[in-house]
Amino acid sequence: MSGIDRRDFLKLAGAGGAGAGAGFMIRESIKHPVEHLVPYPSPPEEFSPGIATWYNTVCTMCSAGCGITVRTREGRAKKIEGNPAHPVSEGRLCAHGQAGLQVLYNPDRLTGPMARTAGSEDLAPITWAAGISQLATRIREIQSSGQGNSVCFLSEGVGGHLGVLQKNFMEQLGSTRYHQYDFAYPHTLYSAIQNLFGESQLPYYDLANADYVLSFGADYLSTWISPVQHSLGFGRSRHGASGTRGQFVQIEPRMSVSGASADQWIAANPGTEGILALGIANYIVNEIGYEGADRQEWVGSLAPYALNTVSENTGVSASVISHLAESLATAQSGLAIGGGSAGNNTNGVDTLVAVNALNYLVGNLGNEGGLVFNPSPVIGEEVSGAQATYSDMLELAEAARDGQIQVLIINQTNPVFNLPEVAQFREAIEQIPLVVSLSSFIDETSALATLILPSHTYLESWGDTFPKPGVGFSVGAISQPVVSPLFNTRATGDIILGLAKEIGLSEAFPWSDMEEYLKQGWQEIYARGNAGNDSGDFEAFWTDVVRAGIWGENVRGSDSTGLAEGVIGTIGVALPSFSGSSDDYPYVLHPFVSDTLEDGSAANLPWMQELPDPLTSIVYGSWVELNPSTANNLNLEEGDVVEIQSPHGIVTAPVFIYPAIMPGVIGMPIGQGHTDYGRYASGRGTNPIQILSPQLEQETGDLAWAATRVSITATGRRVNIVKTGGLARELGREIVQKVDAEEHTTPIAGLSSIPVKVVQS
Amino acid sequence: MSFMDTLRTRWQEYRKPGYYDEFDYAWTMTIDLDRCTGCGACVTACQAENNIPLVGETELARGREMQWIRIERYWEGEYPNVKLNFIPMLCQHCDAAPCETVCPVSATYHNQDGLNAQVYNRCIGTRSCAVYCPYEVRYFNYYDHEWPSPLDQQLNPDVSVREKGVMEKCTFCIQRIRQAKDTAKDDGRRRVLDGEVQPACVQTCATEAMVFGDRNDPQSQVSQSMNDPRAYHVLEEVNTAPSVVYLKKVEANVST
Repeated sequence: MSGIDRRDFLKLAGAGGAGAGAGFMIRESIKHPVEHLVPYPSPPEEFSPGIATWYNTVCTMCSAGCGITVRTREGRAKKIEGNPAHPVSEGRLCAHGQAGLQVLYNPDRLTGPMARTAGSEDLAPITWAAGISQLATRIREIQSSGQGNSVCFLSEGVGGHLGVLQKNFMEQLGSTRYHQYDFAYPHTLYSAIQNLFGESQLPYYDLANADYVLSFGADYLSTWISPVQHSLGFGRSRHGASGTRGQFVQIEPRMSVSGASADQWIAANPGTEGILALGIANYIVNEIGYEGADRQEWVGSLAPYALNTVSENTGVSASVISHLAESLATAQSGLAIGGGSAGNNTNGVDTLVAVNALNYLVGNLGNEGGLVFNPSPVIGEEVSGAQATYSDMLELAEAARDGQIQVLIINQTNPVFNLPEVAQFREAIEQIPLVVSLSSFIDETSALATLILPSHTYLESWGDTFPKPGVGFSVGAISQPVVSPLFNTRATGDIILGLAKEIGLSEAFPWSDMEEYLKQGWQEIYARGNAGNDSGDFEAFWTDVVRAGIWGENVRGSDSTGLAEGVIGTIGVALPSFSGSSDDYPYVLHPFVSDTLEDGSAANLPWMQELPDPLTSIVYGSWVELNPSTANNLNLEEGDVVEIQSPHGIVTAPVFIYPAIMPGVIGMPIGQGHTDYGRYASGRGTNPIQILSPQLEQETGDLAWAATRVSITATGRRVNIVKTGGLARELGREIVQKVDAEEHTTPIAGLSSIPVKVVQS
Repeated sequence: MSFMDTLRTRWQEYRKPGYYDEFDYAWTMTIDLDRCTGCGACVTACQAENNIPLVGETELARGREMQWIRIERYWEGEYPNVKLNFIPMLCQHCDAAPCETVCPVSATYHNQDGLNAQVYNRCIGTRSCAVYCPYEVRYFNYYDHEWPSPLDQQLNPDVSVREKGVMEKCTFCIQRIRQAKDTAKDDGRRRVLDGEVQPACVQTCATEAMVFGDRNDPQSQVSQSMNDPRAYHVLEEVNTAPSVVYLKKVEANVST
C-alpha cells in the first residue's frame, strides 16, 4: 500500500462504502500526484520571491578578468551582465561571458566524485572523503619515499590567491612540477615586451584615445587577450574620443572580426608581419624623420628593411607601406599592436618586438592613446611564470613516459585536445599511474583520469582576479558564489585545502576553506592602505569590496619611455620557416581561435554552438576556408569535403569559399573536433590542432601554430554546411548604407561618448 | 455609422503619423554601423534574457533558426579589396507594421508605447506575419523545445516560454520596460528616466554601438543619436516607419 497514506485510504474506503464504484477509484488513482506549496517563513538572506538579487563577481570564461554582475531569482542565476564599476568591462560583456550560465547549468556537468576501479572501464561514484583520502594516501606514500617531485599539478591559467595556493601546495609537497596550460597564452608577447622594454607584463593599449591603430595579426575585438576592453576602446575611438574618428588598419593573412571592422585590411604573407613593421619603422626613421638621440642606431638596425626589399618579402606594395608609415607617424596618437597569428610563427617574438618598437618610434609610450605599462599585480606575481610553453609540455610528457610522474592532478585544462597529435600527450598521460581530474566536465583529458574530483564552476566558488593586462593602474576583484552549489562538487581551493589536511600539511595550510584563506590574503591588501579602506575595519572593507565587485588603487606602472639597454641593435626579423616542402604541401595552414568556441573550451555550450560564426555564419561545425581563386583552381565548391594533410596528420572538413583570405593560405577554425566534452561538443567537426607540425617559436619554445604547410585533396564527398546567413551580397538593396569619411569629419556634439548613464532628475 | 466604417476610421486614426507621440513613450533604438563589429554578444544576451530555445543542428539546416536579433553580413568587392559589412537585424517595431494588418486573429498588435507586440496565447500559427515582414525577423516554433535539466533553471521567470505553433519575435525586452515603469511609479516619478531601461542587446554591446530610449524626449540619448546626419532606415522604400534607426557606416579613404 505504499504511496497511499491514511487519509487516501479512508477516502477510498469511504467511497467504496457509499457505493461510488470503481469509476471513482480509477479517477482517484490516475489523478496527478499532490504537489505542495511550501511557505518560506524564514527565507535565506537577500531572498525575496519575485525580486531579483544581483551579485557582483568575476568572469573566468577567458583570461581577461571582466567584472560581471549576475541576476539571480529565487536562488538561481538567470542572466550575466558586465559590472559597470569594473574598469575592464565597464558594464559590457562578450558572447562567451553571457554564456557562462550554461557552464553552471550544463546538463553534462559532473555531479560528484567518481573513481575508476581497477580492471573496469566505468567510473563509479564515490564519496568525497574516499576520493580525497585515496589521493592523499598516494601522495603521502610518494612524499615519504622522498619523491615529491613526481607529483604534478597542471591547471588552467589561474591568478590571484587560488594560483598562489596551488603553487604553495606543490612547493610544500616538494614538487617543482606546477604548470598552467592555455592554448592561446601570449608567451611571445610577454617575451617581446620583456626584450624591448625590460618589463615582464602585458601593457595596456589605450585604443580609446588612439586615432590611428595598426594591428598586426591581433584579433583584438574577438579573441585576443581582452576583447571587451578592446571593443570599448574601439567604439570610443570610432566616435572620436580623441577629437577625430579613429582609423583602424588590420594586417593579417585571413580577415578576422577585427579585420572586418577595420578601415583597411591588408594581407601580408604569413609570418612577415614583423618585416612589414620594420619596413614601416625604416620609412619613419629615414623618410619622415625621427629625431631621437638613438637615431643612428635605428638607421643601422633598420638598414636591411628598405622599402623594396620589404615589399618583396611581405607582398605589400611599397606605396601602401609608405602610406601606413606616414599615417602612423603623423597621427595625433598612433598605436601599433601585434599578436595572434603574427606572434605564432617561428619568428614570433622578433615580430612582436618589431611591432611594439613602432610605439617607441612614434613616441606614444605612457601617453594617452598609446602603450601604457601596468603595475605588477598585487597578488600572484610568483605564479605568472607557471604557464607552460609547448616545450615545457613536451618535457612533461617525456617525464611521464620515463615514469618520473606518479600522480598528475589536472585542473580544468585540456592539453590532450589542445596539443598536436605529434606531442603524444595522450600516450604520456596513459603512462601515469594516478591521474586525477578536477574538471567539471569529462573532456578529452579528464576522460583519461582514474579519479575525478569535480570542482565548482566559477559561479559557485570564492576567488579573486587581478586582470592581465590591467588598465594602467592596480585593479582586482573578489569573486563570490552567486548560487549555492548545484551538485556534490567542491571548490578547487577547498579540494586543495582538504587534501593538504589529509596529507598532514595542516600547519602550512591552517585555513578551513577557500573563503577563509581568501579573507586572510585580503587582510594584506587591506593593510596596504592605498584605497578602499576608509570603510572602518577589515570586515567592512571586505564586505564593500565583495559587494562592489571591484577594488583598485592609484598605483601606476613604470612611466619609462625608454627601451631596454642595447635592444635596438638586436632588432631584426628573419623570414618565417614552415614545416614541409612547398612542393608537397603548397598551402600555409592558418588555424585561428574560433570566435564562438574559443580554443575549444566553449564547445560544450549550446548557445556558443548556435551562435553563428561572425564572419561565415556557420554553426555547429568545422570548415576549411579557401580563397575563391584557390577553390576555382582546385575545382572545389562550398560543401566539398577535402582532406587537409600536413607532414604530421590528416583532417577532413568541408570547403567554405571565403573571399578574404590569401590565395596561398587555408583557414581552419579551432574549437570543434571533440571526442568527449558532452553532448553538444562531442563528435562534431574536426580539430586542426591535431595535424600541426612541431614548429617552435625560436625564443620562447612555444608552438608556432601558424607555421604548418598542408596539401588539399578532394574526397569526392559533399555535405551541406549549416549556416544561418542568407545571401552573401546585398544586390543593390542598400541595407548597409555608407557615408564617406570626408562628409563625416566631426562627430556630432554630445555623442562623443555614448555610454548611457541614468540621469537622476 | 456602420461597424466597418467605425473600424476604418479608427484604423486610419491609428495609422496617422505622430499618433503615438501623444502617448508617454516612443521606444526607439539606434545602431551605429560604424561601431558594430559583428561579434554576436547581443545575440547571446538576447537568448539568455528571452528564453529563446536551442533549435539544434537539424532544424538550423532547414533555416529554422531562432534568434530575435541576428547579425547579417554582406560582402563587398573582391580579394584583395574586399570588405565585410555587418548589420544587426531585429524587429524594427514599425509604426506602420505589415505584420499587424495581416494577422487574422490580431495576435500581433501595436501597443501604446509604439511597440509591435505579440500575444502568444492568441497566435494560431498561420505564419502570415512572417511572410509579410520585410525584415524577416519573426520566428516560428515548429516544435516544443526542450531545455535538458538543469539548463531549464536558467530560464527567465519574467518571460514566458513559447510552445509549438506560436510565432515569436523581439519585444524590445518589454519585461524590462515594465519593470522600469513599475520602479518609476514606486519612486513617485511620472516618467522612466533616460537610460533606466536597456534591452539585453543594448546593455551588453561592448562597442556601445546601440542606444535605446524614448524619442518623445528630445533630450534623450537616442533622440540626439537620431539627429546624426548618418541616420537612416533599412528598406525605407517600403514605408514601414521603423523604430530602429541605423547610423551609416563611415568609409575611410585608404590608399591601396
